[in-house]
Amino acid sequence: MRDEQAREARIINRLNVRETRSSRAVVSIVVAALLLVAALWLALELVLSTTLNAPVFMNPAELAQRLASLGTQALPGALVAVGVAAALLGIFLLAMAVLPGTKARQAIANNRSAVVVDNAVLAAALSRTARTAARLAPEQVTTSVSRKRIDVRVHPSSGRAVDTEHIRESVAREVTFYGLRKPLTVGVTTSTAVTS
Amino acid sequence: MNGTHRGLNRALLGVLGLVLVAAGAITILAGTNPAFARRWTTAGADVWAGVQDSLAAAKMPGADISWWSVGVLAALVIVAVLLVCWIASQGTGRSNQLASQDNDTGKTTVDTAVAAHAIKAALTDNTHVLAASVQSWNNKSWNNKSRKNTGAVANSGLKISIQTRKGASPVEVMAAVDHLVEGLDQLLGFRLPVLVRIKAGTRTLFARTERVA
Repeated sequence: MRDEQAREARIINRLNVRETRSSRAVVSIVVAALLLVAALWLALELVLSTTLNAPVFMNPAELAQRLASLGTQALPGALVAVGVAAALLGIFLLAMAVLPGTKARQAIANNRSAVVVDNAVLAAALSRTARTAARLAPEQVTTSVSRKRIDVRVHPSSGRAVDTEHIRESVAREVTFYGLRKPLTVGVTTSTAVTS
Repeated sequence: MNGTHRGLNRALLGVLGLVLVAAGAITILAGTNPAFARRWTTAGADVWAGVQDSLAAAKMPGADISWWSVGVLAALVIVAVLLVCWIASQGTGRSNQLASQDNDTGKTTVDTAVAAHAIKAALTDNTHVLAASVQSWNNKSWNNKSRKNTGAVANSGLKISIQTRKGASPVEVMAAVDHLVEGLDQLLGFRLPVLVRIKAGTRTLFARTERVA
């Protein structure tokens, strides 16, 4: 029984990680498609040159020769520009491979299922909590949830004071009640400027 | 949720990134350092001469084609096929069956639609929920242990996506879905891996805001 529970917890963890992180599917498809075009073009040129037909752009022998003497044949400025572009693209792909690619979602602790909530849903629910606590209209509270923190911005009507600490406490209590798997810090700011 | 090989995606992207960074660094060096550029050309000329020698040495009898060209063409075709496989592997692993059981009297399968209908019907009256959708996916690595007891093959997982009304408490939605999952567990006789997505969508934007806590 204990075994079964541990197995389920592992599955839930895995599902949570997969659902809150990017699969890199789009980048993979784009990169694979570009490589596919290059491979097919090379194959086509190879067939055209062996059957003694005119090349589409350049036959493979000419391509190889040009690449072999590229260091001295091309303008140094062009070489640097192409090199920088290639290196930047390489760094982008490396970043895609290494960075976690966190999505705007949070995992909620649950014993049975992996539960993942959009940050937008959390933000809307916390806005409601904040405006209930401060007795404000829906338009007077905006909330944004980021990877590390929750920002509640309150725009009270002119001449009315709001208890920021009270709002912060209510929102923090609500967040604790949600049981997010990664705790977020709550910040409340009041704008005194006339915005609406 | 699907069976995309995320590790493979990241590994291949990382290798390609390293290759591009290396190529870029060499090209920049050739652009800034004339001595290195000259060495590139001499080394390139040597390699090209070597390649031409081997091309000439492995001529196909009766034709002016080298076996090497045929080999390279085959390699390119294999690479192209592998790339197509890589593209096709994205987003795979969807299934439309929750479980199946084989025994003497025949084969019984439970379609995902069973769970989908039940869950959607149960959530229609829930004011927090605007829309629900249910999908299932195959995962062979999760061989459910309860298979031994019931004979059921339960290697699929269930994904329940819920679009909530703006301002709805995610915990309340979760509790409602938990209740449904419990019912499903009892109905099936074993516990499927379940993923619940509580999300905002276009319907969330246009629907009335939740006013009562």
